[in-house]
Amino acid sequence: MTTPPTPPAGADQIVSDAAAPAANAAAQAAPAGPPIRPYLEDQGGIHGLFFRNEGHTDAIIATDAMYMLIFWFSAFFFVLLMFLMVYWTIKYRRRPGVAPPRSTAHNTLLEVFWTVVPSSAMLVMFFLGFWGYMDKLVPAGNAMELNVKAWKWDWGVTYPDGTQSGQLVTLGGRSDIKLHALPEDTEIKLRMSSNDVIHSFWIPDYRVKMDVFPNRYTGYGFRTPALGPEDDHAEGRYRDHWVFCAEYCGDLHSEMAAIIRVMPQEDYLQWVKDQGSTGDPIIDGKNVFKRKCATCHSDDGSNNIGPTWLNNFGTERQFIDGTSAIGDENYVRESILNPGARIRAGFDNQMTSFQGLITDEEIENVIAYMKSISEAAGGGADDAAGDGDDAPADDAPPADIDAAGEHG
Amino acid sequence: MATIDTQRADLPAPGSEGHPLFWKNRGHGHHFRSSAEEFDACKLGMWLFLATEILLFAGIFCAYTVFRTLYPEAWAEISHSLDWRFGLLNTVVLLLSSWTVASAVRAAQRGRNGALILNLVVTLICAALFIFIKLKFEYMVKLDLGKAPGTWFSYPYAENPQVPLCWSIYYMGTGLHALHVIIGACLLSWVLFRAIRYKAYGPTHYTMVETSALYWHLVDLIWIFLFPLLYLIH
Amino acid sequence: MTTVDTNHDHAHGGHHDEGSYLTPRGGFWSTIWAWASTVDHKKIGVMYLFAVLFMFFLGGMAAIAVRLELYEPVRQAMDATGATTITGQLFAPAGAESIDTGNQIYNRLFTLHGAIMVFMFIVPSIPASLGNFFLPLMLGAKDVAFPRVNLLSWYIYVTGSIFGVASIILGGVDTGWTFYTPYSTTTDADHWRVFFMVLAAFVLGFSSILTGLNFVVTTHKLRAPGMGWFDMPLFIWAIYATSIIQVLATPVIGITLLLLLFERLFHIGIFDPSLGGDPVLFQHFFWFYSHPVVYVMILPGMGIISELLAVHARKHIFGYRAIAFSSLGIAAVSFLVWGHHMFTAMGELSSTLFSALTFLVAIPTAIKVFNWIATLYKGSIALNTPMLYALSFLFLFSIGGLTGFPLATLSTDLHLHDSYFVVAHFHYVMMGGTVIAMVGGLHHWWPKMFGKMYNETWGIIGCLLVFVGFNVTFFTQFFLGTQGMPRRYASYVDEFHTLHMISTYGSWIILLGFLVHLFNFIHSLVAGPKAPPNPWGGLTMEWETESPPIEHNFHHEMLVKHGPYDFESVVPPHCDEAEFPLPPPQEGAGH
Repeated sequence: MTTPPTPPAGADQIVSDAAAPAANAAAQAAPAGPPIRPYLEDQGGIHGLFFRNEGHTDAIIATDAMYMLIFWFSAFFFVLLMFLMVYWTIKYRRRPGVAPPRSTAHNTLLEVFWTVVPSSAMLVMFFLGFWGYMDKLVPAGNAMELNVKAWKWDWGVTYPDGTQSGQLVTLGGRSDIKLHALPEDTEIKLRMSSNDVIHSFWIPDYRVKMDVFPNRYTGYGFRTPALGPEDDHAEGRYRDHWVFCAEYCGDLHSEMAAIIRVMPQEDYLQWVKDQGSTGDPIIDGKNVFKRKCATCHSDDGSNNIGPTWLNNFGTERQFIDGTSAIGDENYVRESILNPGARIRAGFDNQMTSFQGLITDEEIENVIAYMKSISEAAGGGADDAAGDGDDAPADDAPPADIDAAGEHG
Repeated sequence: MATIDTQRADLPAPGSEGHPLFWKNRGHGHHFRSSAEEFDACKLGMWLFLATEILLFAGIFCAYTVFRTLYPEAWAEISHSLDWRFGLLNTVVLLLSSWTVASAVRAAQRGRNGALILNLVVTLICAALFIFIKLKFEYMVKLDLGKAPGTWFSYPYAENPQVPLCWSIYYMGTGLHALHVIIGACLLSWVLFRAIRYKAYGPTHYTMVETSALYWHLVDLIWIFLFPLLYLIH
Repeated sequence: MTTVDTNHDHAHGGHHDEGSYLTPRGGFWSTIWAWASTVDHKKIGVMYLFAVLFMFFLGGMAAIAVRLELYEPVRQAMDATGATTITGQLFAPAGAESIDTGNQIYNRLFTLHGAIMVFMFIVPSIPASLGNFFLPLMLGAKDVAFPRVNLLSWYIYVTGSIFGVASIILGGVDTGWTFYTPYSTTTDADHWRVFFMVLAAFVLGFSSILTGLNFVVTTHKLRAPGMGWFDMPLFIWAIYATSIIQVLATPVIGITLLLLLFERLFHIGIFDPSLGGDPVLFQHFFWFYSHPVVYVMILPGMGIISELLAVHARKHIFGYRAIAFSSLGIAAVSFLVWGHHMFTAMGELSSTLFSALTFLVAIPTAIKVFNWIATLYKGSIALNTPMLYALSFLFLFSIGGLTGFPLATLSTDLHLHDSYFVVAHFHYVMMGGTVIAMVGGLHHWWPKMFGKMYNETWGIIGCLLVFVGFNVTFFTQFFLGTQGMPRRYASYVDEFHTLHMISTYGSWIILLGFLVHLFNFIHSLVAGPKAPPNPWGGLTMEWETESPPIEHNFHHEMLVKHGPYDFESVVPPHCDEAEFPLPPPQEGAGH
């Protein structure tokens, strides 16, 4: 339909600058990134009722054409049948005391005719559908390969140079939806696998999805659109597409969305560069937190699916089996790699193992970040809490950060 | 088909010719036109039920085929640690029991109650023997070594990561089969009880013997497939 | 006339009591016991009817709740103080800090809706209630082949349903009715409720198998003398085909759910990828049952429609043999198409194969629809509630069938799979097909079952409300699906708000329609006029006995002298020729 697109929503740009204190201040003051604009064309017509936009590649256009072919075929037969049904119902309605006219109850020729004709139509549908399917699944030979990891409940995309995307934006019910940038007019090939249950990577605008399994790779290919003047916004040239998880995966299944942002090649390269390491373990740790942990954990004191990280490090916690322990570095590491080993009282065993999803360096950065927001570890818990979602060390002088690191 | 109260005092002694459960006195359900029709219906019903049993095991056989194809090395490890001699012994025991249960049906058709009872007793002994061999020489030995299904697997010398999975299929297949042996034995025990106490089966009424025997043949048949698949293919 | 007194009493002597099967005998408790221990197929059918209608009510309430939650998208907003406010969550506890709890409740609601509707309502619905009651009557038999097995099947159903309801009381299940692994084997690991729900489905399978087995044998062995296979009413053909599917497909779900239970309890690893198991194997097993079971749901509905159209249009059903064989054809092909639930999970080769096979199902289905419409031609069509339901069925089921095409077509299915398009499609088939047919059949046979007429005006009002409400609710969902709304979502992006709102309004109209029917039926039981033995002028044998039928179904052995749809040559039993006039004799019109 033609409802207006989502109103611009603030984007929470991940902290990405290398130089520590000044950059922190800059990051805090940095304006929100360009707003999310799910791509919507006002096409009009029947096609516009069904689809939000015309396709930009042959594969998509062929899919839509296939759909509309089936639609018109079905509509023709449906209207024909319903017309006959209603017409005969009225014409032959019962009149008291009047016998119905005699009529035949069988006609071989007619029955053969209405068996053979639809069957041949189905044959056509099958073959056209098969060709369109192969078009969508088989990626081009020179495609850029993206490694997609799925877990409960987020997507992680690793770019060919090893960079992971981590820009967070607001979409629907969640403020920490990940944005993945792609260069325009490029063949893309996805190699996907899951770390826990089955997910499904659906890009409605590209009319394609594929299930994502643990212990197995699946994937498909597509071509990103070439951007034109219609994609020019005040903030630059880009086009946004939704990604939804289409295979039910639990509590936050409906929040397991992402945004694919297609941008010009040079913007894309800059964007990938921005996602890299800052060299500061606390800031990098916070970035890891936002990329991989913020779905279930918070750093502001509210308990979601998992316990909050605020004032979490170095405190004693109760487990569901009645034991208790101090949350030290080894406990954090164990909780990341083998989360089912010890479950905090009051929480369910929901967390996926991040074995293979997180590097040792990232774990160390996460620990550094946890320390920085825990009083027991000497971190500035109050500051962090007051700042809500901002970088923890924003208000703290650099000395404090160093101190936190040393205390750990 | 009202339930006949067999405990009433004014009835003739169980097993005597006058007792309503004596085979000559058995009628047929009021909704059937004749005993023959009822017999045919019961037999058709049992054949359909056997079809469902085969499809039940088809799931196990399917899983077996899939994982045998995926992990041949793990299966080789398992086949090697299964002793084909016990498997063969159990096969012989079951084949013997199938023969005796067929003889039991024949005895019932000819009205030889003694032969019916004898054959049923031998069948039940075979069933017990099968379960005994299965438990004592197969399950117990393997469980002691830690070759247990799923979470209980603790065998330290497994060479292949999929070995616990394959053991699970072994236990599911043979365990489900053993359960069917027990169900079949219960059915046959019921037949035996009625044969001893009421002389309930004879040439005009042996539906229960026939259908229980059919069930028992199925149990045998499934083992005939399980045995080579698990024990003999390396 | 149609029956011949064969002048001999059956084996158990003459009838001492020819009262209706509903007549209470003895006091309150002995009546209760008489029902609880009955082997009479009619009483078992009535008990099933009320049980499945209760389950329909439970599942329906869950559906209404699901639609209410989706009335508005869930939104989190942060105010100036940093506090998070959540809007649009109807069932979340007050003051919730995050959306998790609300989502958990929603996920349990849609799972309960699916599991109850599939396992406890729609699979047993028509066969076990109307089928149980009318299969022996239409065959001219006194009972089903194995009456005690029938009672056993009822108690297994009750046991299974108790497990299902227990899992709801224990807090609900969030696996989805499909129990996909590895989610279903890992979720809620500390609780028994998922175990209970899977166990419920497992136990209910046995009930289904026993009912199906009973009906197959009954159809084979207990047809009245003179009734050949092609003299059977089409409802019997449909129930027969259904029963074959039940017998052959249900054991596979049995072993699948058993493996799932063991997987949950002992981690045997067959479906667990971390131990080398294969979650896709579960999907193959699951759909090997659950696709054929779709036809267990729809075939009896098709059978009912064949009866309703013929009787209320007073017309020999068009292409009897084509409809009968298409039932068997659907049953056969249904076993070959399960893979179309997994186009996004399988390799190219198997997807292609299953896509081709799936189109085959459309052929017998299309033949049926053409034949039904052709039956109306030159009929004498009474526009009463059963007929309106039959026409609604044709409308809704045609949409349900035609929207199967883009799902069977590979290229479009990659887009539509697991979207609201699928939700709309199977609701058009399951609810627009089976439920509509069942309610129509219930009105058709209500006078026979309970001996009371219902109020026609209110019946028609209810039918129109359900029809309109249904289309408002589910037609919108086709657009949601093509535009990108995935199924099983507790929340959605703002673009989908309008369509979801319309869909929710529709669900209220459906609810209103069913309430009208409910009160109409209650009113009929309490104060309805007494029904004649054959109010519609039907020719199948259930109309020859009284309304409600006597304990032993018929006064005499039945002997079939005419076909079930010979409206042009036979005055219906207990009917006046003035009310149901025959056309003048004509040469060459017979067949």
